[in-house]
Amino acid sequence: MVILRAGLCPGLTVEMIQLLKANSIATVVDLVSSDLEEVARKCSLSYKALVAVRRVLLAQFSAFPVNGADLYEELKSSTAILSTGSRSLDRLLDSGLYTGEVTELTGAPGSGKTQVCLSIAVSTSHDLKQNVLYVDSTGGFTASRLLQLAQTRTGDEEEQVEALQRIQVARVFDVYKMLDVLQELRCSVSQQVLSSLGPVKVLVVDSVSAVICPLLGGRQAEGLALMMQLARELKTLARELSMAVVVTNHVTRDGSSGHLKPALGRSWSFVPSTRVLLESREGTWGKASTRRIASLTKSSRQPTGIEVELDIGSCGVLEESPAASGEGC
Amino acid sequence: MQRDVGSFPLAPGLRAKLIGAGFQTAQELLEIGPCELSKEIGISKEEALETLQIVRRECNSNATKTAGDPEAVGKCTALELLAQEQAQGFIITFCSALDDILGGGVQLTKITEICGAPGVGKTQLCMQLAVDVQIPECFGGLAGEAVFIDTEGSFMVDRVVDIATACVQHCQLIAETHQEEDFQKSLETFSFESILSHIYYFRCHDYTELLAQIYLLPDFLSEHSKVRLVIVDGIAFPFRHDFEDLSLRTRLLNGLAQQLISIANAHKLAVVLTNQMTTRIGQSQSMLVPALGESWGHAATIRLIFHWDNKQRLATLYKSPSQKESTVPFHITPHGFRDVHPPPPSQTPAEVEINPRKRPRIEGDKQQ
Repeated sequence: MVILRAGLCPGLTVEMIQLLKANSIATVVDLVSSDLEEVARKCSLSYKALVAVRRVLLAQFSAFPVNGADLYEELKSSTAILSTGSRSLDRLLDSGLYTGEVTELTGAPGSGKTQVCLSIAVSTSHDLKQNVLYVDSTGGFTASRLLQLAQTRTGDEEEQVEALQRIQVARVFDVYKMLDVLQELRCSVSQQVLSSLGPVKVLVVDSVSAVICPLLGGRQAEGLALMMQLARELKTLARELSMAVVVTNHVTRDGSSGHLKPALGRSWSFVPSTRVLLESREGTWGKASTRRIASLTKSSRQPTGIEVELDIGSCGVLEESPAASGEGC
Repeated sequence: MQRDVGSFPLAPGLRAKLIGAGFQTAQELLEIGPCELSKEIGISKEEALETLQIVRRECNSNATKTAGDPEAVGKCTALELLAQEQAQGFIITFCSALDDILGGGVQLTKITEICGAPGVGKTQLCMQLAVDVQIPECFGGLAGEAVFIDTEGSFMVDRVVDIATACVQHCQLIAETHQEEDFQKSLETFSFESILSHIYYFRCHDYTELLAQIYLLPDFLSEHSKVRLVIVDGIAFPFRHDFEDLSLRTRLLNGLAQQLISIANAHKLAVVLTNQMTTRIGQSQSMLVPALGESWGHAATIRLIFHWDNKQRLATLYKSPSQKESTVPFHITPHGFRDVHPPPPSQTPAEVEINPRKRPRIEGDKQQ
């Protein structure tokens, strides 16, 4: 619902706008959907001028259909698949993180979400030599752990330093500041400001629910609106700037069944295209006492229910042996 | 600036009116003056002026940021953060095993949560930390001050005097063996009176007072810039009894957690919280879990659980971003928190008596 303003398109003058407003046509949608002959008669404006204005407004504001083949070609050339550094996690995600999509990690406290995020950051920055923006809203980001992970990838100090320099960290603890950071990222890329680093390929947001949970619930709908704002920003960043976006989410206990489910409710569940649940299970068969399992709960490419085992040791989830307990769909 | 109107920190009613009148992006708001805006939407001129100021300020700060000035939000590279972290100190607990599993001690800029059954030693550790944060820098401490927010009334000043006296004696012994100038100088100002005078104590009786105290903390901290530790002893207590609306409780707790972590980050201090335990009844067995629900588990960055094993107190590191899960035993002596076995002879020997003040554990009273 864009308001009609003078200068929106050539031919739309201030007098025209005032006449239209007097007849309760204030926005572009009103003008474009009204019967122009009636309008021309009531406002005593020229019919030709109105038709010209409508054509220009439609060209400016409507979305253009694209055919499937063109879309496929465009996706083939612009989508990249970024490996997460761990073969089992890659297998779970259908060979890695896809740019243009939002991937979500959920899990109980202490299940390893921050560790997986740190591993992804190090793997992208060191193996793929791409830039990463890490937005931390819980205080769980520890640079010394990042250094430890980088040290398992390479013994060369210069490479470690370079890898750490490619990871930018923003610490924000409320939702407006998070929106600020995302907006700034979009502006800096769209204005082609060349920072010393270059374009960001992976955006990690740890975690989204920490900033949204204080706003949800009760009778205020504002929390839901802000959550969807955030969702829209993340998806726009993913799609328009071809980034891979990774977010982490908390779990809450379902009131009726007592099972754990991802926080933020059903509206948020439509935002990420892939969802992975991390949990620790009691070990059997003489293995270590707890095993960490990652299971796929939502995916547009793979069957859900696939599980792999992760080993979060001194090297995070990187390069561990593919000792997976894969179950079919 | 193509920023959506919904993403600015405006009042909900005002936002609804703006969107109802058709304003969608900040660009449209920037082009209109306050008088026209107040006429369009039907709000007072002062409100219109305020709204425009908020929008302009956000847009301007964005513009200066893209000009290459990564301030205000605090973006920096991981390398810079690493340098900062390595220069930061820790708050030691005087129990070297516990310090080891924590990676050196209680970390600054993080929230550490201590959960445990009653009587296991949570308040003791809090009092020990309130003294330890004040150890002068030449002895390896932070020379900071402490804020103690008490909701349960378990803070005993005479106990703190005992702990403080023991700590001062420990430092004096170190100074005597090393005989350096600055050790003697800092010992002059480090006495138990100075320790007690640098612990700021607040007593909160219900959750409203607690929330008010924590939201007013930034003002207090800007006047007392040497504070390096904020302790909330008993964050569960005011939220657990007579709270009918559980979703309100979750919201308040989450907001509190975000406020605490932003204070911890902005003022470079450590936040320590203590939590109670509750019983979760599963299908076949029941277990003790930390109170306040699942969502509170995400609030703390580091979680320590204290529990009993026969007569031995154990501390388990349950959640940490940089350390592995592990369990160590500890003792509580008349001098405070200590290791189970005395540390190597290069340091002063620690006593290993069972604390006579705590009631002795009876065999049948196990909580597991």
